[in-house]
Order: sequence, then structure tokens, then C-alpha cells
Amino acid sequence: MSLILKLDKVTKSFARVETRDVTTALSEIDLEMHDGEFISLVGTSGCGKSTMLRLIAGLIVPTTGTLSVNGEEIRGTSPTRGMMFQKATLFPWLTVEKNISFSMRMQGTYKQQESRQEVDRLLQVIGLERFRRDYPAQLSGGMAQRVALARTLICKPEILLLDEPLGALDSFTRMNMQDEILKIWQNNRQLAIMVTHDVDEAVYMGTKVLVMEPHPGRVMGEIPIDLEYPRNRSSAKFVEYRNQILDMLHFGSREKD
Amino acid sequence: MKNKMENAPVLQLDGDAKGLSRLTREQLAELEDREKTPREKLFDGIILALPILTGILALMEYLLLPSIHDNPMPYLYSGLLILFLACYTLALFVGIPLHRQGRKKVLRYLRYKAPLYSALLVVGTLFDIGALKTEFFTYPLVPSVNSVLYALVTDWKTLAISALHTLRLMMSGYALGVIVGLATGITCGYSRKVRYWIDPIIKFMGPIPISAWVPIIMAFAAKSLSLGNLFVVFIGVWFSVTVASMAGVSNVDRSYFDAAKILGASQRQLIFRVAIPHAMPNIMAGMTQGMSTACTAIMVAEMLGVKAGLGWYMTWQKAWSLYNNMFASLIVIFLIFTVVTKILNAFKKRVLRWQIGVTQ
Repeated sequence: MSLILKLDKVTKSFARVETRDVTTALSEIDLEMHDGEFISLVGTSGCGKSTMLRLIAGLIVPTTGTLSVNGEEIRGTSPTRGMMFQKATLFPWLTVEKNISFSMRMQGTYKQQESRQEVDRLLQVIGLERFRRDYPAQLSGGMAQRVALARTLICKPEILLLDEPLGALDSFTRMNMQDEILKIWQNNRQLAIMVTHDVDEAVYMGTKVLVMEPHPGRVMGEIPIDLEYPRNRSSAKFVEYRNQILDMLHFGSREKD
Repeated sequence: MKNKMENAPVLQLDGDAKGLSRLTREQLAELEDREKTPREKLFDGIILALPILTGILALMEYLLLPSIHDNPMPYLYSGLLILFLACYTLALFVGIPLHRQGRKKVLRYLRYKAPLYSALLVVGTLFDIGALKTEFFTYPLVPSVNSVLYALVTDWKTLAISALHTLRLMMSGYALGVIVGLATGITCGYSRKVRYWIDPIIKFMGPIPISAWVPIIMAFAAKSLSLGNLFVVFIGVWFSVTVASMAGVSNVDRSYFDAAKILGASQRQLIFRVAIPHAMPNIMAGMTQGMSTACTAIMVAEMLGVKAGLGWYMTWQKAWSLYNNMFASLIVIFLIFTVVTKILNAFKKRVLRWQIGVTQ
């Protein structure tokens, strides 16, 4: 079954706490995304990337405009739109296993045999079977983020929202996790939307990169990445894509003046 | 190094990392510790023998010096001393062979406790001289150890009944305080509307010391004193638990709520599966504080109002100038409150298991 996520003239404004005026984080965004796509969102801070993700997740409501999945308007959160944050936000009072099965226990399906098998399978996918009874405080940053990924995946989301999920990791762990996330996405072919500050990561992972600009938040350009997976970070075409995006963001070869 | 290994046949190292990873904590400490010199070993031996020497000294002083006051059942204190000596010697007899086999836990514990035991026995001896053998302490305000033991043995029935009364009142007040405190604290922490109404009550009730309630309760509840006493215990517990759980619930990191919402948690589940577990460290702190106020409150209540319990027993015995009985009830109070606090701590440790590594 194919899936279409549509943003129709979506604007989101926030009331500022100190100054009483209103800032516009996103302005009249029109977008269409399909399953099987891996969208990378890049842009300087304040361009509304995270706001867009939170809107799609249903954590916040748009000021004007509508968001819809297959024609159905998004209202509130749903396990079918899974989200991973920069902080792993694992519940520290639950073991790894119980964190992963959190959504099942919220829905009351944890008692079922296949639910348990699914937990076991995901523990195996993230390679943390040995740590199933550990508490999050005992895990490293990369391990915690893997558990957070498994916790999101257990809902079998049609849309996977990744809000800088690898931003807080060291570069080696980060590169490993990029490949792991790609592998999972390639297996399931859902729609993945990832916010990142790292242009390299955006090109390495995305089928399409959306470059955004701030004040107010807009999509400046859509760049389809026409490269085979697994991608080579130092190939000429890869570097070309990267420079093109950096140029759009006014970095790169030209000095900012 | 080699010599040390021979002394400890339990420790078998094959030299590789696999062997090292199978080490117990004790063996690891031993490997890294330097060996003790003969002088240090001699010193350890003397310290280990010290409780036996002071114990015999205490026993001889008690039995040989003549008492100047009436001392019924004189064998209680001497019996206690002999029991201690027997237990300690037995522990030594168990500990020394174990130590030779490399299992040093028992002897290390005894070595650690020996100075304290010795000091206690010396203090006991001096106290006995002051209270029973000379006029150093005012008789009978300061009773000898034997007379306190005598009170414990002869009046144990009244003491036990009083202890039961105290426990019953304290536990019901405490349980009620915790339950109602949790309910108000959690709803206040979660809902601003509820907090609007409850906050003034907390602000008014909070600063009033427990003891200030007692006369009012007695005036109001002339007929149902037990209800009033329950209230005195309840109010302190309720206050601590409410304030602590309110703080815990209202300080939940928003990102936990976001994550839980995405995973399909309902409004109810956000409270019970996220907010409350997150507030658990605060709640446990409130419960611990509540326990200490409950202990104070029950004593104040029993000394001023209730006609039962250990507090009442104490004031009653004072009226008869039975000071040794007062000290006996002090011991019972100590025992009860220690046990209650220990149970609460064990519960706390179990509930907050996940904090290991967070707080350290």
C-alpha cells in the first residue's frame, strides 16, 4: 500500500514568552512525500526543521494549513508515526526490554506471544540482547539511541521521524548508526524524514535533501540524490552534492560576507 | 607475590585475562593490597582479642564489686555479658580457619567491629561502677544496666502491648497519610486547577508544628480521642508526601511526555506510567521524611493524649518514679523505629533500583 504525506500551506507561529510578539517558524509549506523515500532536512538553526517534524508527529498543531496522511488529516500523535529524538529519552525507571515494549504495554498487547518474539527480534537487530535487563543509566550514548530506535520501530511506523537522532554521538558510533538505520529503512521501505545539521549525513542517507532557510522557515530547494546505496563519501558526485548544498546554505567555497 | 598466592589456595589464576575476569571482588582487593607486616598482624591480633579481655573485665567488675543498691535478678547483666563473650569467641573460632583458607570476610568484619565492642564494654563497666557500685550517679534517676534489663524482663507484657498500640496507631496514620498525600500531591502536580485549591491548604498547614495540633485535637475530640491522634500522625505524613510528590510530578521532563505520546500512551497512562515513576525518587524522599515526623507525632500524641502506647507508658512509669522502666521503654522505642526505618529503606532501595548509576 502506498502512502502519501501531504503538507498543504502549513504555517506555524509561536508566541514568544518574553517579548509577547509572535515568530513564524514555518511559512506556507507545501510538500508531498511518499513511502520509500528518505528525506533529509538540513538548514541553519531556527529554520523550522524540528517544528516540521513535530507537526508531522502530531505533537503540535499547525497555525494554518493542514497536514494529511493518505488524505486523512493528522490530529494528535499516533504510533504509526514513530519519532526518535536527539536525546534518547529512554524511561530511566524501565529496563531496556521494557523500554522497547513500552508501546505494546500501553496498548495492552504485550502479553501476546508474537509481541515478545518481536521484542526479542528487535533486541537482536540492535545487538543488545545481553543488555535486555539493564537500566538506561548503564548504557552508553550509542546503545541508548539504538534502544530508542528499537522502541520506535516496534510500532511498525509507516512514517519514521528522526530529529537529529545521531547528533549527540561520537563520529564512529554515528557512522555505524547511519548504516544501521539505512539497513532498517531499506528492509521496510517506509517514509523516513530526518532532521540533521550534518550535510554529509544528509547526502549519505537521503534519497532527497530538503534545504531550508530561516525567518520565516521555508523550503529553499529540493535536491534528489541520485546515488546507489551504500554510498561512498569521497566519490566525486557525493562531494558535488555536498558542495551544492553548502553553497545554498551560504557556506562552502564562498566566504560568508 | 608468590608467597601470597600459596597462602590463598582459593585464588587460582591461570595468568590470562579470562582468569582475571573470574575474580571475586575480595580476591581482587587482595591481589592489589600489599601484604601485612608481622607487626601489623600482631596488632590485628591484639585488637581482635580486646573484646574478650574487656568483656571479662566487665564481668569481673560486675560480679566481684559489691552493690550498694538493691539489685534484683543480678544474673541478667552477667548473662548478657557471657552471651556476648560466647558469641564473639565462637565467631573468632569460625573466622580464623576461614581466614586461613582465604575467606577473610568474617574476620575482617570482627576486626572492624572489635574496637567498638571493646569501647562499649569499657563504658558499660564504668557505667556499672557509677550506677550500682558507687554514688557517682544519682540513684535511682540513672538506673544500672541490670535494672533496665530487669524492667524489660518483668514488665515485658505491658511493654509489648504498649508497643503494639504505638505501632498500630503509627502505621494506620502513616498509611493514611501516604495514600492521601500521594493522591493530593499527584493531582496537584498534574492539574493546575486542583493545585489552585489545595495549595492554600498546604501553605497554611505546612508551617504548623505537629505538637501544636495536640491540644486542639484533644479539645475537639474529647469523645473520639483515637481519631484525633490518628489525625496528628496523619497530618505530618500527608504534608511531606504531598509536597514531595507534587514537586516530582510537576518537574517531569517534557521530552518524556512527548516520547510516551508518540508511543501511544493515553492521558491516564501519561500520569501512571510516566509522571508517577518519574516522581518516585521524590515520593520516596517524602515518605522517609513522613516516617520521621510520624515517629515524633506518635510520641507527642501518646504523652499528651492517648491512654496507651509507649509514650503513655513512659509518662505513667515516671509518675511511679520507675526510671528503669522508662529506660526500658526507650530501648523498645529505639528497636521499633529502627526496624520500621530499615524496612522503609529496603523498600526504597528496591523501588529505586533503576537509580543505580544515575545518582552515583
